Amino acid sequence: MRRPPLRTLGRLAGRQPLGAAGAGIVVVLVLTAVFAPELAPHGAKDAAFSPYLPPSAAFPLGTDHLGRDMLSRVIWGARLSLWVGLVSVLVGVTLGGLWGVVTAYVGGVADSASQRVVDTLMALPPIILALSLMAALGQSVNNVIIALAVLLTPTAARTLRSLVLSIRESPYIEAARAVGCPHWRVIALHVLPNTLATYIVLVTVNISYAIVVEASLSFLGLGAPPDEPSWGAMLTAGTQALESAPWMFLFPGLAISVTVFGLNLLGDAIRDLTDPRLRGGLG
Amino acid sequence: MRALLSICAVAIAAAVVLAAGGAAAQDKPRYGGVLNWFDYGDPGRLDVHAESPLVVQQATAGVYSGVIHYDPDDPSKIAPDLAERWTVSPDGKTYTFHLRKGVTWHDGQPFSAADVKASFDRILHPDFKSPKCGAALKPMVASVEVQDPHTVQFRLKFAAAPFLGNLASSWCRVAAKHVLEKYGDLNAPDAQIGTGPFRFKRYERGNLIEWERNKDYFVRGLPYLDGVRQYILVGGPTQLAAAKAGRVMLWDAWPPMKKTQADELARARTDVDIYQASINTIYLLYMNTQKPPFSNPDLRRAVSLALDRQELVAKALEGAGVPCALLDPKLVGDFALPLEEVQKLPGCRQPKDADLAEAKRLVEKHHPAGLEIEVAVRTVGNYVDRAQLVLAQLRRVGIRGTLKSYESAAGYAVFGKGEFTMIAAQDRSMDTPDPESLFSVVYSTNAGSNYGRWADPKVDDLAERALRESSRDKRKQLYWELQRHILASPTAAVPIAWVEGWFFVDKKVRGYKPALTTYDNNTFMKVWLAE
Repeated sequence: MRRPPLRTLGRLAGRQPLGAAGAGIVVVLVLTAVFAPELAPHGAKDAAFSPYLPPSAAFPLGTDHLGRDMLSRVIWGARLSLWVGLVSVLVGVTLGGLWGVVTAYVGGVADSASQRVVDTLMALPPIILALSLMAALGQSVNNVIIALAVLLTPTAARTLRSLVLSIRESPYIEAARAVGCPHWRVIALHVLPNTLATYIVLVTVNISYAIVVEASLSFLGLGAPPDEPSWGAMLTAGTQALESAPWMFLFPGLAISVTVFGLNLLGDAIRDLTDPRLRGGLG
Repeated sequence: MRALLSICAVAIAAAVVLAAGGAAAQDKPRYGGVLNWFDYGDPGRLDVHAESPLVVQQATAGVYSGVIHYDPDDPSKIAPDLAERWTVSPDGKTYTFHLRKGVTWHDGQPFSAADVKASFDRILHPDFKSPKCGAALKPMVASVEVQDPHTVQFRLKFAAAPFLGNLASSWCRVAAKHVLEKYGDLNAPDAQIGTGPFRFKRYERGNLIEWERNKDYFVRGLPYLDGVRQYILVGGPTQLAAAKAGRVMLWDAWPPMKKTQADELARARTDVDIYQASINTIYLLYMNTQKPPFSNPDLRRAVSLALDRQELVAKALEGAGVPCALLDPKLVGDFALPLEEVQKLPGCRQPKDADLAEAKRLVEKHHPAGLEIEVAVRTVGNYVDRAQLVLAQLRRVGIRGTLKSYESAAGYAVFGKGEFTMIAAQDRSMDTPDPESLFSVVYSTNAGSNYGRWADPKVDDLAERALRESSRDKRKQLYWELQRHILASPTAAVPIAWVEGWFFVDKKVRGYKPALTTYDNNTFMKVWLAE
């Protein structure tokens, strides 16, 4: 008999209270991002007010140095961060995952050669690689997504390759081959479904990483274009008036911290629930 | 009791004598020490004849000398430098400079009039792009002739009042003939061989420029400093952090501090004198007249009407600036059009409702669905902040901009080639305190910073007539007419404001006097450091 979904969720929350808290944060974040136009009292780019206004009833998070409402910018920043984080991770982990799955399944020279490429990419310090890519591609939100996807691809390829190396030796794979299944069918129907749990964990834990890297790139002036409401760029602006307008630094910093905290808690919980070696399991 | 009084009297007298002695010792220049300050960006190229960024001039200022220069003791006066004295012909068209004898270049070669001729022949060559010295002198200088090894003559096309001021500009430096022949230009660090008070010691790209004392400097006893270090500090927060930490002793160049930054510095350091000043620099927005959409004068006019100069000054400059003015009365006196008149003109007048409605109408006339443009900006000073404000203002009239940012030197390269649609913010500093400078720097067809390539024969004509005019009153009338014409025209360079800001000098730094332009008086030849 199937349990009602709400009851299942309640049972999981009881087993993973921190994960539930993380999920709560992520839900709030997603709702904020989706309903940003309705929630933000003003436009994120409207410099229509006096600069450096401290938090008040009219401007709960104050205004920045150009007279923009900080609350509106933090809310719109959630949309930018989530969009960049989610899309870059989906692209990077999916492409990297497929790369790892196929080369591990094929094995031999192709696998060896591809792993040397992965080694090379992983040898580059991630933030330096991202900065170089941004310098070459130019500043735009889409280019941030491309840079982050490139950054995430080798890790995903390496992780899923390791998994597939053991999967391909499984009796059901041998059986599928023995009955004459073509390779694409074996990969699509028998290998990929068994990598799904790892793929989901990779996606959830890397979203927070991507958000932090995007914020870092913007903080260094090489992320999203300067007028986009990126939390990292807001931090940079905040450093200009650390003492006189600390709210400019505090609230975007808090937004990044809470988001990353929530996503990490959720990612850890999903890993625990999907990894049979750890306590838990969905059953 | 009497003994006690005597002891007190002796102690007070001793204290007075010591204090007086201390003060005298502090007033007497002291040798030694290294002055630390900063460049806002990496110059990349170092050819002071061929470049226009302040960082190029700053990087090489103490290395070279001019024929004449602005007096370090009184920067409002012109004083001899490599020339000991000069005479002017009765018709005002020939200037004869008698050069110092016994001057040597930093590599030991002797200096002569041939070096002056080689430098100015290069600067004045019609095919040589010299956006500062060349742009200022080409309209007025016909030729430079060597009379003998220590006498050189500048022959003018007409008697030009601003000639001496332009020649004294820190961009009109004399380079060695043999260095120009060897290197072809002055870009390489090895080519930085001058006659100035300091030798060029090293250039670490993106990090540091360093000079060391020239022991053979032609002014006996100078300089006092052992050297000067210029750290390349990009971005306001980095510059302010270095100032607060005591890593720089002087902030007297572009970009100025904003009020918020000056207040933070005042809280962090009590050993500095902070002051507010103008730096003879105009804040402009450029549009490219050579390609769409701003080849259309209606759209240039729409942008000019849409820009709220007062808001830009209030927010980007934290109120420190003179909005709308084409010439700043504080800097050029009554050569500037009265501000009351300027502030009533379309584009500047407040409230903005009528101007915004007209701007919107003009945009809709040519682009009913709105206009999308790419807006260029160099990532130096607070240009990116200014650009964001410009984008917000342009959105009000249906112009949607996307920012494209450039590192300092890369931006100049792009602007120089005309490969942009709009430059959201670009300050241009005047080369001399004369009102003529603005037109040779920005608005004449051949101006060094006419990035938008705007050509208006009436501007060229009025600017040249003002140059030729010797009567001050008539010059003033010509400059007023010129200002009225430009302010009413769909120019490529919209004047937003004259920039002011806050600066500081470490109390240890002595003998430094701020100049009337941001380029002068940064050779530090007479600067010394107190204990």
